[in-house]
Amino acid sequence: MLFSSIPFLYYFLPCVILVYFAVPKCLKNSVLLLFSLFFYGWGEPRYLIFMLASITQGYVFGVLVERYRDRKWSRAFLAASVLFSLLLLGYCKYADFFISNFNAVTGLSLPLLKIALPIGISFYTFQILSYVVDVYRKEVPAQKNFINLGAYIAMFPQLIAGPIVRYADIAGQLESRTHSVADAAYGIRRFLLGLSKKILLANTLGELVSIFKASQEPSVLFAWMYAIAYVLQVYFDFSGYSDMAIGLGRIFGFRFMENFNYPYISASITEFWRRWHISLGTWFRDYLYIPLGGSRVSRPRWLLNLFIVWMATGLWHGAAWNFVLWGLLFAVLLMIEKLWLLSGLQKVKGLGHLYVLFFVVVSFVIFDGPSLGEAGNHLAAMFGGLKLPAVTTETLYYLGSYGVIILLAVVGATPLPARLFRMAEKKKGGGLLLSAAEPLVLLGLLILCTAFLIDGSFNPFLYFRF
Amino acid sequence: METKMKNMVLVCVTGAFLLGFFLWSLLKPPEEISLSERRPLAAFPQLTGESVLSGEFMTSFESYTLDQFPLRDTFRGIKAVTARYLLGQKDNNGVYMEDGYLSKLDYPLNTDSVDYALGRFRYVYDRYLGDKDMDIYISVIPDKNYFMAEANGYPSMDYEALFTRIEEGADFAEYIDITPFLELSDYYRTDTHWQQENILDVARQLAGAMDVTLTSDYTKMKTDSPFYGVYYGQAALPVSGEDLYYLNNDILEQCRVYDYETDAYLPVYDLEKAEGQDPYELFLSGPKSIQVIENPQGSRSRELILFRDSFGSSIAPLLAEGYAKITLVDIRYISPAMLEQFITFENQDVLFLYSVSVLNDSVTIK
Repeated sequence: MLFSSIPFLYYFLPCVILVYFAVPKCLKNSVLLLFSLFFYGWGEPRYLIFMLASITQGYVFGVLVERYRDRKWSRAFLAASVLFSLLLLGYCKYADFFISNFNAVTGLSLPLLKIALPIGISFYTFQILSYVVDVYRKEVPAQKNFINLGAYIAMFPQLIAGPIVRYADIAGQLESRTHSVADAAYGIRRFLLGLSKKILLANTLGELVSIFKASQEPSVLFAWMYAIAYVLQVYFDFSGYSDMAIGLGRIFGFRFMENFNYPYISASITEFWRRWHISLGTWFRDYLYIPLGGSRVSRPRWLLNLFIVWMATGLWHGAAWNFVLWGLLFAVLLMIEKLWLLSGLQKVKGLGHLYVLFFVVVSFVIFDGPSLGEAGNHLAAMFGGLKLPAVTTETLYYLGSYGVIILLAVVGATPLPARLFRMAEKKKGGGLLLSAAEPLVLLGLLILCTAFLIDGSFNPFLYFRF
Repeated sequence: METKMKNMVLVCVTGAFLLGFFLWSLLKPPEEISLSERRPLAAFPQLTGESVLSGEFMTSFESYTLDQFPLRDTFRGIKAVTARYLLGQKDNNGVYMEDGYLSKLDYPLNTDSVDYALGRFRYVYDRYLGDKDMDIYISVIPDKNYFMAEANGYPSMDYEALFTRIEEGADFAEYIDITPFLELSDYYRTDTHWQQENILDVARQLAGAMDVTLTSDYTKMKTDSPFYGVYYGQAALPVSGEDLYYLNNDILEQCRVYDYETDAYLPVYDLEKAEGQDPYELFLSGPKSIQVIENPQGSRSRELILFRDSFGSSIAPLLAEGYAKITLVDIRYISPAMLEQFITFENQDVLFLYSVSVLNDSVTIK
């Protein structure tokens, strides 16, 4: 089920909130688990079995790892759990990628498995991995209550597109958490802002992206409009989803980590990755980069570690070479920055911003390409390689038609609106005015989102299949 | 306002809105059709184990909730107005508005589609017309974009290339240019079609080119209800309805329309249809595969076979004066291979009259 859908907003959400707040405290996690399984099964009921198997193995191996702590069996149970998770993820997500590449290299024609990727499998698999590893590292006690662990893994607010919530961060909240009007109001605020980012901005920008791809009169300017629109769409789509997840979590008494912090204002790629998909970046840091030795190894080994982590980051996003290239581009940029560039970039911030924006745009064009060839074509169109006209009537039309949206999105991707809001709040009478206007504005956004949903068609989240 | 009060108001307002529409959606009886969009609305899907496991139930339920959402038309209007006036978008669902006229973006020229249509016309010629002594004509009806797209900065197709392609591709027919006789005001503001009361000069031009003279006068009649055309529903913008007129006279009063589909005679103007889902069906009762307008006062020696789309429904009555019989054929609804079962091709005039929108998206032609 999508957050940005009528069934979720006007059927599922009222039901889950009513039931959740009606039952006693001891049943709240059960309600969350049941509704989360319904939420997940709504889209792909067949794949509930994968999720239930994953929860069960995480639960069993977590308990076993703790029970046999400091004994060799503990490591074996950890390995078994990690293997289970990775094999399941590999089977569902990467099998056909490896088979098709194997076929290409060997000339064989092994049949593809053609498995439809279960929604959110990359997210919940990583959560289970981090849970079992944290139990093994003695950072958290194993969860003895199956329902609590199930509620953590399957929790619908963050189930299908993150943020990747660490068990350690919410273990206490699973056992005992408070609910308040203030939390509910904060949650509603975050949720509605996220919903608006997704429906009003990301989906509309997505229309422009689709129009470019279907255009029979492309131009260099149109290619750049597409690239910029896509970069903004990905941000508002994904950060909108994270906002909704954080907001919904807060309504149910959970505090999830922030996942985005205005990444497009970064002055270096290093900074960009501290601001973009923070939960994934820190996950790879803590569960892959540091265990590999991090930067406290020889320089060649360190570079190899970076290469492995970014190759994995690319592959995590999708089983295709364009994702690998996307990850490796960042690996190369990060290596260059860490070896030579970073100190210089910190001195010339303006140049740093341009450099980041340039490579982010290029990287996301690669990211978006369904194949390396198509991504190459889009890049060639942007840089004059296809001998396209600089501009066409169609380009000017869509520039005019989407100019306001692009401008709104560009401004919205910076801290400027929040800054202006805070400034207005400090003005005399401003706080009172904003307080009075806030519920109306948020209700207006909900009405607009509903209107856009009803008029539009089904729009899946971009980060859905990762 | 105290933070506590502000939070309480926000929670209550949002909660009431979500819960209110949830209950309203549950209690509201489902509607069968959308008048503004001219389409049937999704019904509640069948709930079976198979439909749930395959995900079909969920997909259909999503469509059901979207179609049956309370105040659906109002929400669509809110979206259209926001997109146009707040976000500066120039079209909504591909429909744009200039000077009160709604039109749908249709570009670029789809030469494959035009060639396909030409191929079907040639099939008709080769199979039925080529070996007969018949006068064959072809004409293209420009859409509203011809008059309003390029002039207002909207992407537009190369119309001259289209007209030339048709003229050269249909070398078995004489091409009749009707563009000088048309302007934007000849079309409905909210619909794709032309207004019958404004195309008398077009009818005379076509008839003249076919060596038929039209001299009749007509009385302009108005239907009871305002007309909301097909673009009205698609644009969802707050646009007022317009008057729907038809032209009548003694000759047309005496004409009968035989419908091969129902084996029955129909009126030239079906006033019941004028009050229905698509009031343009007033003209010759809407889409039909083969119809014959029989004019008892028409010249005994002249008959016309009109291969046409929906634009033909409103102009054919104006041509009736010059012919004893006009056979209207819409090869979107009947395969041209079957025509010999219904029509004897001998010495009739033949006119292929198609609009740009059908030619540029001719997949429906059989």
